[in-house]
Amino acid sequence: MKFFAVNGKRPTRLSEKTRAFAWESLNHKYGLDTAKDPCVVMDEYSGFEELSDIKKYDLIIKDIAEKSRIRICTGEKISGAATFGLAIKHLVPATVNGHSIFSSVSHLTIDFETVLKKGVNFIKEQSISAAEQYKGTDKEEFALSCVNVFDCFEIWHKRYLDELKDREELKDNYQILLKVPFKPAESFYEAVQSIWFVFSFVRLCGYWTGIGRIDWLLGDFLKKDLENGKLTIDEAREILAHFFIKGCEWICGGNYGSGDAQHYQNIVLAGVDEFGNECTNEVTYLVLDIIEELGISDFPTTVRINQKTSPELLTRVAQVIRQGGGVIAVYNEDLIIKSLTKRGYEISEARKFANDGCWEVQVPGKTFFTYVPFDSLRFLQEDTLKGYEAGVSFNSFQELYAAYVKTLSIKMEDLLSYVNNERFLQNKNQWTWKPTTPCSVISVFESGCIEKGHSYLEGGPVYNVISPHIGGLTDVVNSLYAIKKLVFDDRKVTFEELMEILKNNWEGHEYLRQFALNKYCYFGNDNDEVDAIAKDLVAVFAELCDEINDRSGFDMPGGISTFGRQIDWAKTRMATPFGKRNNEVLAANFSPTPGTDQIGATAIIKSYCKADLTSMASGAALDVKLLPSSVKGENGIEMIKGLIKGFVSLGGHFMQLDVADIEMLKQAQEHPEDFQNLSVRVSGWNARFVTLNKEWQDMLIAQTGSEF
Amino acid sequence: MLVADIQRFCMHDGPGVRTTVFIKGCPLKCAWCHNPETQSEEKELLFYENKCISCSACQVCEKNVHYFDELHLLNRKECVFCGKCVSKCPAKALEIVGKELSVEEVFQSVYRDVLFFDSLGGITVSGGEALSQWEEVLPLVKMCKEKGISTAIETCGYAETDVIKSLVPYVDIFLYDIKDTDDVRHKKYTGVSNEKIIKNLFFIDSLCVKTIVRCILVNGVNLNEKHLENVAEIVKRLKHCEGVELLPYHEFGEVKRRASGRKSLAKKEWLCNEEQIKAAVDFLENKGIRIIKNA
Repeated sequence: MKFFAVNGKRPTRLSEKTRAFAWESLNHKYGLDTAKDPCVVMDEYSGFEELSDIKKYDLIIKDIAEKSRIRICTGEKISGAATFGLAIKHLVPATVNGHSIFSSVSHLTIDFETVLKKGVNFIKEQSISAAEQYKGTDKEEFALSCVNVFDCFEIWHKRYLDELKDREELKDNYQILLKVPFKPAESFYEAVQSIWFVFSFVRLCGYWTGIGRIDWLLGDFLKKDLENGKLTIDEAREILAHFFIKGCEWICGGNYGSGDAQHYQNIVLAGVDEFGNECTNEVTYLVLDIIEELGISDFPTTVRINQKTSPELLTRVAQVIRQGGGVIAVYNEDLIIKSLTKRGYEISEARKFANDGCWEVQVPGKTFFTYVPFDSLRFLQEDTLKGYEAGVSFNSFQELYAAYVKTLSIKMEDLLSYVNNERFLQNKNQWTWKPTTPCSVISVFESGCIEKGHSYLEGGPVYNVISPHIGGLTDVVNSLYAIKKLVFDDRKVTFEELMEILKNNWEGHEYLRQFALNKYCYFGNDNDEVDAIAKDLVAVFAELCDEINDRSGFDMPGGISTFGRQIDWAKTRMATPFGKRNNEVLAANFSPTPGTDQIGATAIIKSYCKADLTSMASGAALDVKLLPSSVKGENGIEMIKGLIKGFVSLGGHFMQLDVADIEMLKQAQEHPEDFQNLSVRVSGWNARFVTLNKEWQDMLIAQTGSEF
Repeated sequence: MLVADIQRFCMHDGPGVRTTVFIKGCPLKCAWCHNPETQSEEKELLFYENKCISCSACQVCEKNVHYFDELHLLNRKECVFCGKCVSKCPAKALEIVGKELSVEEVFQSVYRDVLFFDSLGGITVSGGEALSQWEEVLPLVKMCKEKGISTAIETCGYAETDVIKSLVPYVDIFLYDIKDTDDVRHKKYTGVSNEKIIKNLFFIDSLCVKTIVRCILVNGVNLNEKHLENVAEIVKRLKHCEGVELLPYHEFGEVKRRASGRKSLAKKEWLCNEEQIKAAVDFLENKGIRIIKNA
């Protein structure tokens, strides 16, 4: 068992049995087992097709609870498994006549706090009262569907108890499940099982939820157990490790395209509680231990860092980041809380923030969230510059910029109409939600739904957020800046000539292309001139979001992202004024365009932080790649800590520091244009990796992984 | 001051996140120099062959430094460093090393990363030789200290003792090179005696200033027990030395050596293998010397 690490060896703290369990889980054993049984089949129910959607849904959930396979792994410390293959594909795992029936829901973190503190029975009672209250109204069916969820959950729960009852080696699991998740948890072990069992059931039904602030949820339980001598820290680590290992039960191997940690089961660590007190605790460190040892990336984890974060936690975070894999990212908690209160959230609510299972910020357990992504570079190329066709002309940079702002504003109006038409029946200050796919399984765990008698997708949650997400922002900034320099400042070419050149994909203009690419200092190099354009565009976008916000039934905070879309978007993107050709893959999120950042990590962070990111309450992600050799040794930890502290002081939002492995260096060798900022250092000498020729690069690749 | 380069987010030039200022000019002429383009006190024109796209835009040169005879060739001695070719070259194949900057300008560049330095990181003045332009380096480190930025000087130690004395109040740590403890070899491979260098190291220590001793390891030259023994002896006598960093010779400086038009002096056998490096680490550690492992 060799758990992959970029820098050196991972430590061993867990028992051999637990490590072996992790190994087989990471190597697809349970994923392949899950995939072989896709779903329940509703064909045999006569009259199924004639039922209302919600009746169909209720039947399906019951069928899932009764017929899904029970899977108990040898030696597992917690039980419950999501054993339907279609759930891995983001569907409610049921078909009729070979077709799936309901899509599922993701981009949320459900309310595990109530589950732990009050127990599932409490929520069941709420549903029963709601059903009474709404008797005879149009909300009755939804309330009854909620009650059905608990009936089904109990059926599934009982099947586990029956299976565990006579298994001596799993008697702890049995005893604990007799109590949780239906009654409140009272110990750490019970709390872990409680969260896991609810998570499993929700996932079994096809829904992808984040976990949220696991250390905040579990910290007090562990503290009490440790104080009473009920549990040792090592025992606690073993139990929690099983949560992470079982969370790999959907890994099937093969080629996913965007990786195998794609079920939005995100975790948020550290930060302040609702009263403003730091809540970092032993569980925070246990989670970091487990990730460090097993390298499990299935629970993408983000740590909330603030100005007062302890050096001890920062050091631990840096140590885990250094292992590579990009599992651990950081939030600037101070800025995010400020951005949320600015939008009207109570401070105590803002302080509870977690995410949607990705990195978009939300108050967990009470937020409907989705986002609408768009390619702002395409808007520049297609709309403002009319596909580089002749006849478009601007006399100054200001004129061009104003035209682009106008384009954006029109597109945001389109976005508003789209959202309102999609979600509401009418929209004259009276927001009536369109009936849509039933989702009672998720609705019962989102506060607001049962009380209001509306599902998660129909306005039930306390907060309802649809976030416009601008993508390609960096490439727009660089495009505008290149036009400013080439045409208006340095007069290297006229506007008309440049459009013609771009239309022809720089063909026959290699000198000018190289000039545009290399002679100007683009976003990501701490160049105030170009960063000012980025700063202003973010402000413009925030203002446009505010303008449409009042004309929607949703809260519409802006966000800056591409996720992986830059790969798809490349297919329709034309050549850019800063020297990229047709269909090149450009910037990720709010990071520099590949190949244009030449100074290093601090300059990237500075460029990114110049914009007022409190105006992007949904989030603005920055990816920074570091070479393993640059964060090695005694000083490597200090380097990472320095970057994180600077990021927080300067007003960043979300940052992922990724330590690149040897494979990445090989890629750098093949595509040097995309790795311009990877600087390499061997004792007294320093140079950019890409300025070395192959012979020397090979040598450096060979050196990666040894002490010197 | 004439600066070869200012690099941000440097990893191995002292503690924390650092910005390193590479001073142009060095009194030593080490055969194995990793930054050969910083040796001379004059500006230099660098040409990176692998980046050239043969567009001939560089022929803007009035002195005809650039000519093409199938390959792009240079007549370097005619160059007056006007920079016209560099500004025309679209591919960054040409570079002038050596930029005249005021102390204030250098400080401003360093200050850009102040929020990343925290209490640990800061400025490192390196080179070339940091002390070769001590009259400018002095106000620079002074200015940094005044703004609360930690200061490090990376030096070969070949300077007048008074110069070092004047700098000491403003320097938190010296990264101090000992190239070779054998003076005959020292003269042969660096061009000067090590006597002054070793004397200055003890002088710095007597003023209670922190040092990290940095030792290049060159196989076939100084990679032997006698030298390591001497290093251990010296370091043991230092009261404020944080430890020793070993820097095995590597060939990476050859890229810039070639770009600057210098002839290679390097020998393949200078490279140390991993066992040799480990043996050197063990040898020193057995003598009670702390080895700082960063590279």
